[in-house]
Amino acid sequence: MDYNLKKAQALYKDRERIGLSALLVVAAVAFYFFYSSGIHVLPPPPEWLWPLEGWASGLPEVIASFNTLGFLLSLALMLLAYGVWSWAFLPSPAVMYTMGVLRGVFGSKVEIKYSIGGRFRVFLDDGQHIDIACKTKDIDSGEWFQYRLVSSPMGADNLADVALRNGMSVSNGRFRSWVSNDEFHHRVLLMAKAMSVASPSP
Amino acid sequence: MEENDTLRSVYELTQLMSSLNDTRRAILLALAHVYPRSVSGVQLGRLIGYSGKSRSLYRGVLMHLQEDQMILIDQLTPKLYSIRINNEHPLLAVLVNMCREYGKESKEIYLRALEEE
Repeated sequence: MDYNLKKAQALYKDRERIGLSALLVVAAVAFYFFYSSGIHVLPPPPEWLWPLEGWASGLPEVIASFNTLGFLLSLALMLLAYGVWSWAFLPSPAVMYTMGVLRGVFGSKVEIKYSIGGRFRVFLDDGQHIDIACKTKDIDSGEWFQYRLVSSPMGADNLADVALRNGMSVSNGRFRSWVSNDEFHHRVLLMAKAMSVASPSP
Repeated sequence: MEENDTLRSVYELTQLMSSLNDTRRAILLALAHVYPRSVSGVQLGRLIGYSGKSRSLYRGVLMHLQEDQMILIDQLTPKLYSIRINNEHPLLAVLVNMCREYGKESKEIYLRALEEE
């Protein structure tokens, strides 16, 4: 694996640890915040649903209260925020690696747009573009960095053959392929080549 | 003209093979040698010495190879797949032909690995 990607992987693991420890602290604070200001009891459940004896009779007072509702809600929000955070921002070495490879294939002058969610778009000369999405820690395949390449729609009529000959599939007139990080350079190159084969020569 | 076409296919095949990572390359080479036999997922994993989980081999590698129409997967039972190379792929057909023509010895090695159940 590339050095940059190794760094990105380590950063990603660190991020998980930081996220988890921050979550513990914030959850503890939230716990204090929600339970220290007096318990607001929900309307008690009917007796036939939940016959209460002994210590269990205290349950609805503390557990089934608005405080618990608020606490769980805040926990859910924290998890959501963490999920959005890790979806939206690639570790920066991974961005550097991806950009470096793309610059290596298309030259340093080409315009590349990086947007949140680990997506890149390379603008080629004749109004065509390639969309690249980087997926970190893919659970299905166990790969750390996986890329989805999708080209802009192409007009030629022998698309399927061109796609096959460059190891890609075609759907809706776009070349598509899943690519692992160690294939990234070569297969982006092949896609660029396939796109120039498929586009009508001027 | 004929020879030119073949050379062109070989060029493209070389490019394609070198664009794939080592797992995918090993799979295609092994399947091309044992063609027309098809193998199960477990057999394929052993054939190429894959140490990961078979689920990640399937979801991460085989599915993508199938999407790019390089291999064909038939689901025999929910857990048993039969995997073979796509001989109608314009470049892999060349590979299969080359393996048939010149790869008898390698084929024996692959097949021996398959027989050892």
